[in-house]
Amino acid sequence: MRIDLSMPWLGGFAGVDNYAKMGGDPRFWHSLWLTLIYTASTVVLQVVLGLSLALLVLRIPRGQAAMRIAAILPIVLAPVVVGLFWRTLVLSPDVGLVDVVTRALGLGSHNWLGDPQLALISVIAIHTWQWTPFAFLVILASLSALSPEVFEAARIDRASAWQRFRYITLPLIRPAIVIVVIMRTMIALSAFAAIFAATGGGPGTSTEILNLYAYRTSFSELNLGYGAALAVVLLAITLAVSFVMFRVRRRAAVA
Amino acid sequence: MTAAAEASGNRGRVSLRGIVKRHGAFTALHGVDLDIEPGEFFALLGPSGSGKTTTLRILAGLEPRSEGRVLLDGEDVTFREPGARDVAMVFQSYALYPHMSVFDNIAFPLRMIATPADAVERAVRDAAAKVRIDHLLARRPGQLSGGQQQRCALARAIVRKPRLFLLDEPLSNLDAKLRLETRVELRKLQRSLGVTTVYVTHDQEEAMTIADRVAVFMEGRIVQVGRPQEIFARPVSAIVAAFIGSPPMNLLPAEVRSGGLHVAGVDLPMSRPLGADGPVTLGVRPAALRIAPTGVPARVYLIEDLGDTTIVDLDVRGQVIKLRTDHRPQVREGEQVHVAFAADALHLFERDSGLRRSVSEV
Amino acid sequence: MTARRLRTLVLIGLAALLLAVWAFPVLWALLTSFKTERDVLAYPPTVIFEPTLRNYRDVLFGSASILPNLVSSTIVAGASTLLTLVFAIPAAYALARLDLPAKRASGFYVLATQMLPPVGLIIPYYLVLQKIGGLDTYGGLIAIYLTFSLPFAIWLMVSYFEDIPREMEEAALLDRAGRLRALWYVILPQVRGGIAVTTIFVFLNAWNEFLFAVVLGGNRVRPVTVAMFNFISVEQTLWAKLAAGAMLAMAPVIVLGLLAQRHIVKGLTVGAVKGGGRT
Repeated sequence: MRIDLSMPWLGGFAGVDNYAKMGGDPRFWHSLWLTLIYTASTVVLQVVLGLSLALLVLRIPRGQAAMRIAAILPIVLAPVVVGLFWRTLVLSPDVGLVDVVTRALGLGSHNWLGDPQLALISVIAIHTWQWTPFAFLVILASLSALSPEVFEAARIDRASAWQRFRYITLPLIRPAIVIVVIMRTMIALSAFAAIFAATGGGPGTSTEILNLYAYRTSFSELNLGYGAALAVVLLAITLAVSFVMFRVRRRAAVA
Repeated sequence: MTAAAEASGNRGRVSLRGIVKRHGAFTALHGVDLDIEPGEFFALLGPSGSGKTTTLRILAGLEPRSEGRVLLDGEDVTFREPGARDVAMVFQSYALYPHMSVFDNIAFPLRMIATPADAVERAVRDAAAKVRIDHLLARRPGQLSGGQQQRCALARAIVRKPRLFLLDEPLSNLDAKLRLETRVELRKLQRSLGVTTVYVTHDQEEAMTIADRVAVFMEGRIVQVGRPQEIFARPVSAIVAAFIGSPPMNLLPAEVRSGGLHVAGVDLPMSRPLGADGPVTLGVRPAALRIAPTGVPARVYLIEDLGDTTIVDLDVRGQVIKLRTDHRPQVREGEQVHVAFAADALHLFERDSGLRRSVSEV
Repeated sequence: MTARRLRTLVLIGLAALLLAVWAFPVLWALLTSFKTERDVLAYPPTVIFEPTLRNYRDVLFGSASILPNLVSSTIVAGASTLLTLVFAIPAAYALARLDLPAKRASGFYVLATQMLPPVGLIIPYYLVLQKIGGLDTYGGLIAIYLTFSLPFAIWLMVSYFEDIPREMEEAALLDRAGRLRALWYVILPQVRGGIAVTTIFVFLNAWNEFLFAVVLGGNRVRPVTVAMFNFISVEQTLWAKLAAGAMLAMAPVIVLGLLAQRHIVKGLTVGAVKGGGRT
């Protein structure tokens, strides 16, 4: 349906015009590409960091309580507030935490969120910061549940630490990792508040993932019809991805 | 009126008429008929999946039947709620309420019908004393041993003085020694209370030792009902015979030929009439066999020395049969011997139907 | 120093570093909230300074007070959590105990509703609420919150109910309790942990919700998340004030998070395992 609030007299059923328009819209493809990068990198980072942290913490039983508190904090915060925090206190040029560190290290000062080149990286960092603890906690739980006897048997069979990790640990925690990947992918696809608060989709369109493009189209440019179409495409992608993932998961579980 | 019935106040008469239970295309019970006298300790015996637990649950009202009627003391309770049947049940897993103390667990059924607090107190202590857990009333089920949990479940059942006890494999979660001890206690408890009890088990030794009467279930049907001694002495079919006894009855393919028995290649003349010629299954209990100079040829396969009893596994033409004796047999493994049995110790079943062939007594 | 001890020290050092990365931003914000604006902009950043409560006072009692926003958030999050529990618990119980053929499909369906990007839904919601005059009303916003809280709560609670063996109810029924009393006296006490976890997560999600609040709310219904967002444009670089505001806005969920640590961790991991196990 075509509802252009700035030109309400054009209301009426627009059929698939919106979708056709999408195909030729470079901003759409750019947005899709950004969404892909954003989703893939945040999920991969979360898993890798979460796994490393979990393995690390496993060796230090007394640190686990402290790590747990540190892990809970980012998760309970509102994403919009996290976006604001980072925008002001962490990533501001000159006074932000990161900038202070880079200046101290002699790497100069940067406009992390205002520079189109750096904005996407910054936004990925924000999301990863907030949600890695989730991956960490789930993987840690899975690791803690492993019975030590399997590892003892492997040690007796003269497996090195790396071999033990690769052939025993990883396969045994695979279900947990798969769950983390699925859930985080879904969340990454629908992430909105943090990016919106940090950059609003900018500068320009350098952090305008599909979510934000749809929002801006609907509420800033008041082109509700096209915005809705964009949202539907995102919906379809999410459903398709989740369907595929659940299939893969089921097959992996059976195997 | 029997003594047991009198003790029970003549309550707890059970009648099942034509109970059929279907799950979609699968029929779990094919028309079960049963009559249980008040005060009886009645066992439902059978292998897993034979329908005995389903029958119990239909009796309790926990599952609806597809066809048939359930009568308690003459009343048709087929459609009545479980809570309204005045029936108590001990589940295999005990189903104790983990968040309540033992006292509260036992008190629960009384509190549900608004029994005044002092009556509750008395009844709970009474029931707990009967099963000897009165010192554990403040504990939670999680803090009790398996045996104690089981007694707590029992106390919860007896506190209401129901007209019928239903026990679903109550001993299967206990270790072997405890099982034997508890078995006896259960029986004594039931006798002192006089409550009609229906007891489900797959352990034939259990059923045979404690029940007044047993109903043997096979594949959704009752194949034999009677006192344990009757079932032991005259099993109605080869299947029942093979299920009862430890070790179970030996079954060998045989043939009735001109009035004699032909088994494992030899002819054994018999002094009693065996009925018509034809293929049969011969049944002999392990305790009825003995090593003899003549008889059925066999090779000693294994000797199991159990201390005061010995079980000898014998190979008869590829089939293993067992012999049981209290004397130490003078044979070695691998040796060729003969086994014989008394004429009145044999059971004959038709080969095709498996049903008992009636042989007139000598 | 033995190689082993050295290794342990390195590991501890690494862990401490990572801990810092995760805890620091929040602690830094806390610190900042007590600074004067000048101290905030100082470089190198000061750790030792003269603390002031001025920011908190401004944020609570000043002209742009966030007190009404806190009230708004409390109403919205509190009411939606309460309503969710009231409806989700019986629904989950029914779903867990009845053998409906739709059960397996509904599990995936519920999960799917959680995964749908909200952006796709706000436009129709906006239009509908506009038509019925539900925009910028508590009733309207809470109703929309229920659309995502309810499936989530039901999905969580169903797995907790399924963990209780059916024999519990059967024993209670035979003890003449009746369905409702069996649920109240026997089943619910056993899923207390599950109810706690569900309440925490539903409340967290509701309190932290932004997109629906900003689009479907307005001047009357403005939770703290929206207020914080507006802060940045209105207050420019008054970051100390922003920090104080953010601390107040997040105080409830931070406190909840710290108090209910174990429940949250259990909820996350259990939810992850069960979520995977059900489809």
